Amino acid sequence: MLFVLAATLPGLLPAATPPENDDARALIATLARPAPATIDFTEIRFSALLKQPIIVSGQLAYSGPDALDRRVTQPYREDTEIRGNAVRVRREGEPERNFAIKRAPELQLLLRTFTAMLQGDAAAIEKNFSLAATSDPIRWQLVLTPQDARLARRVQHIRIDGRSDLPRCLSIVNDARGASIMLLGAATHVQMPPVVTREWLERTCSAGE
Amino acid sequence: MKRTPFAIALVTAWVLILAALGWYVQKDLVIGTDLRLFLPSASTPEQRLLLDEIGEGPASRTLVAAIDGDTPEALADASRELVAALSDSENFRVVSNGDVSFDVIPDELLAYRYLLTPTLDTQAFDTAYLRRQLDDRARDLASPAAGMLEPILSRDPTLEILTLLQTWQPLREPNRLYDVWFDTAGTRALLIAETTAPAFDPDRQRAAIEEMQQAFAAIRTNENMHLIISGPGAFSVLMEHRTRSEAQALGTAATIGMIVLLFIAYRRLGSVVLSALPLLTAGIAGLLSVSLLFDAVHGITLAFGFTLIGVAQDYPLHLLSHARPERSPLQSVRELWPTLMTGVASTCIAYATFLFSGVVGLSQLACFTVAALVAAGLTTRFLLPRLIGESSRDFGASPFLGRLWSRIASLPRPRSIAAALAVAASAVILFAPGPMWENDLSKLSPVPPDLLMRDQELRSHLGTPDLRYLLVVEASDDAAALQRLEDLQPALLDLTQRGVIAGFDDASRYIPTAQRQLDRQQHLPGDAELRASLAQAVTGTPFHPDAFEDFVRDVARARELPPLTPQALRDSPLGAVLDLLLSHRGERTLALVTFAGVNDPDALHELSRDGAVLLDLKSASESLVAQQRTHLLWSLVIAAVLLVAVIAFSLRRIGRVVRVLAPMALTTLIILAALHGAGVPLTLFHLIALILAAGLGLDYALFFEHAAEDPQEQRRTLHAVLVCSISTLMVFALLALSDLPVLRAIGLTVTIGVVCNFVLALLLTRETRS
Repeated sequence: MLFVLAATLPGLLPAATPPENDDARALIATLARPAPATIDFTEIRFSALLKQPIIVSGQLAYSGPDALDRRVTQPYREDTEIRGNAVRVRREGEPERNFAIKRAPELQLLLRTFTAMLQGDAAAIEKNFSLAATSDPIRWQLVLTPQDARLARRVQHIRIDGRSDLPRCLSIVNDARGASIMLLGAATHVQMPPVVTREWLERTCSAGE
Repeated sequence: MKRTPFAIALVTAWVLILAALGWYVQKDLVIGTDLRLFLPSASTPEQRLLLDEIGEGPASRTLVAAIDGDTPEALADASRELVAALSDSENFRVVSNGDVSFDVIPDELLAYRYLLTPTLDTQAFDTAYLRRQLDDRARDLASPAAGMLEPILSRDPTLEILTLLQTWQPLREPNRLYDVWFDTAGTRALLIAETTAPAFDPDRQRAAIEEMQQAFAAIRTNENMHLIISGPGAFSVLMEHRTRSEAQALGTAATIGMIVLLFIAYRRLGSVVLSALPLLTAGIAGLLSVSLLFDAVHGITLAFGFTLIGVAQDYPLHLLSHARPERSPLQSVRELWPTLMTGVASTCIAYATFLFSGVVGLSQLACFTVAALVAAGLTTRFLLPRLIGESSRDFGASPFLGRLWSRIASLPRPRSIAAALAVAASAVILFAPGPMWENDLSKLSPVPPDLLMRDQELRSHLGTPDLRYLLVVEASDDAAALQRLEDLQPALLDLTQRGVIAGFDDASRYIPTAQRQLDRQQHLPGDAELRASLAQAVTGTPFHPDAFEDFVRDVARARELPPLTPQALRDSPLGAVLDLLLSHRGERTLALVTFAGVNDPDALHELSRDGAVLLDLKSASESLVAQQRTHLLWSLVIAAVLLVAVIAFSLRRIGRVVRVLAPMALTTLIILAALHGAGVPLTLFHLIALILAAGLGLDYALFFEHAAEDPQEQRRTLHAVLVCSISTLMVFALLALSDLPVLRAIGLTVTIGVVCNFVLALLLTRETRS
């Protein structure tokens, strides 16, 4: 009953048909972790403004539904703290920056998906996204497509790749040129090529290793 | 009533003429509600500014709105939708909820950012600076703020837009949730709306408030979500409605009570109905005269006027009480006329002094009452007696009244009691603690204190500055005003550093002088220069070399721009703030500096030089109220002198004059003592009501004096004065029950006055038999 569709482009997957959704729900249920949970990340940021992506790494610490810390340790230090609606960004040598989480849609998405994943709560995700999943016995992939039109203009979809019950990658895709791709946990130890491309990341994320 | 063809023709003609005049008057009756009509004209610059601000200043046009009853997130959404829904409204100049995003700055103003922020004063756009900025932007792109900043980076890699928005932040930033203003508890989303109509235009204010409420009704997400609108405009709408409905309710109750009372007193329905005609004539004559002599009739004039001419209802009652079988009404009225005329003339003369009070509203009131009372007096004398039928009973023969009269006659009436009362009342007036006069202009406003408190509370959450102290700078035009403000900056900063004030706000914060803008323009690099520095700076960053073409274009535009004028900024979303601080008064420009947290008002006076005036709005308004009172008190003094003269002329004998005037004078003292003793500070409304009470007292005394010797005439007079005073008492006791301070003030004053006047007229006016 399971299809092996390892290299299928996520955008081409039929969204929100019941069998896939059942898979997705079952899958999300297996991802539940008690808070607090901490995971290493390496974020690769693509933008139309950039000739090469920017790469930062550090830890994500989740300590409850409205509390997420993103601590960048390389190549500089930067702490982002989400508490409820408020976001506080502290970077060495710069004044603190505060803004409402609504201003940073990607961050809000990150928080929501993280919360839902760590709580194993598919229903929470389905409030804002249509959900699709593909999986084989080892590897899996979840695709979340925003239902809100305003958000959809900025974020095409979110993709989470994983292996058994651990996520490997969380990609927030803006468009053909803009994306933020986060390698998580074990995937952060993968040796990077001199020029990191989205194709390489795609392969790395969906690789079973 | 008489059934002769003449009487029927007369009453028909009378009613028809009244109907026609009534129709004519209401057709183009303009009811004004500008409170300034009831204030004296300003004699100092402070007062002038105060009056301007009260009437049409932006502060008076600012409404505060609060949305509650849902989660903060839903409230914030509703707040945003409300702003969007009203953005094109003709009723609102601007509606804001604090949501400053990049798109609040219109595109044509964006290039001005380099001229409006202080960055270029200290910083050149060279390679080193640009490189630092680009490195920071690269980090921003890898931060959670990326989504927010990315759309503007190519145009604004130095984030000058953010600097500009920060410069423009309110003096004390209100609490924000989900990017919109909230109260500190986070339960109410707050908005500020500036209406196009001045506060005292209730029709247009109502239109604006209704539009806002309709817009809200369309976006509210649940039944519990409420919109509260507060501010001078909202109050004027609310008060107009409440005063009207309360006056209507009380008026209806009074009318019904009056009809019942008159029917019991006279048992002649026809006569009772006819006796309303002089009063009706009075009302229409009053309206007609005011609308002919003045452009607009003030709402307060109408409300007061109709209250004051209630005394006209007494005129026909005297006629009815004095009617008796063997005399025609025409004969009765001839006997009464000298007394009635003295009463009408003296009251009219008292009111006429208001004509010269220098206060437009009071002049209107004088005009209204004089015309009304004359009309009522003349119709009672010449028309009414030809309509009412001959009476079949004589109140002079009433055994009940006879017994009552002899009982009253047997009461001891030592003059010493009157003297003692006068001394006691004077002592209370002079020595009772508490302020004699209400100096607070806001107390003149009939707005209930709880609404005012809620308004203040909402405004304090919004961090609106303390508007008691203002520095006013008058200049020939905007540019000169901005220059003056810029010159004041060092002194203001010095005061802030010394802790005299916590902060200040003025127009120069939002828009620098043209000269300063031109200076900054000089500091902008040329196109080639900028491209060279940028190319060098981009090398070694992850950015594309040509990622910042939009930035280069904006800088090039900024170099060519003519300096931004306040007028151009006025039409932007910042217009409301700027309007408040930089406004036009005729040909001149008036710039205000507002202060937050004034700790040492005396030190602020240092700023009052070179044409800048430090204004203490509280003392200005108090001086205005005091001035108004002085006008009024002088009017009263003149009225009193004229009154005595009229009475003296009419009665000829000093003893009679004293007997007639004593009850009224003593009553006035007792009312003042009662109010002051009870800790009620006197307002304009009390003083006007005092004159009404005096007029009533004078009438009672005149009629008792007139009745002097004849026992039957005494009973008829007793009947008349009893009916008059009970009906008046009923009406004003009802008013005294009102929630509205104005109605209560009038009601209370006149109620005390009627009782005292009646009792004292009875005891003091009759000649003591030697």
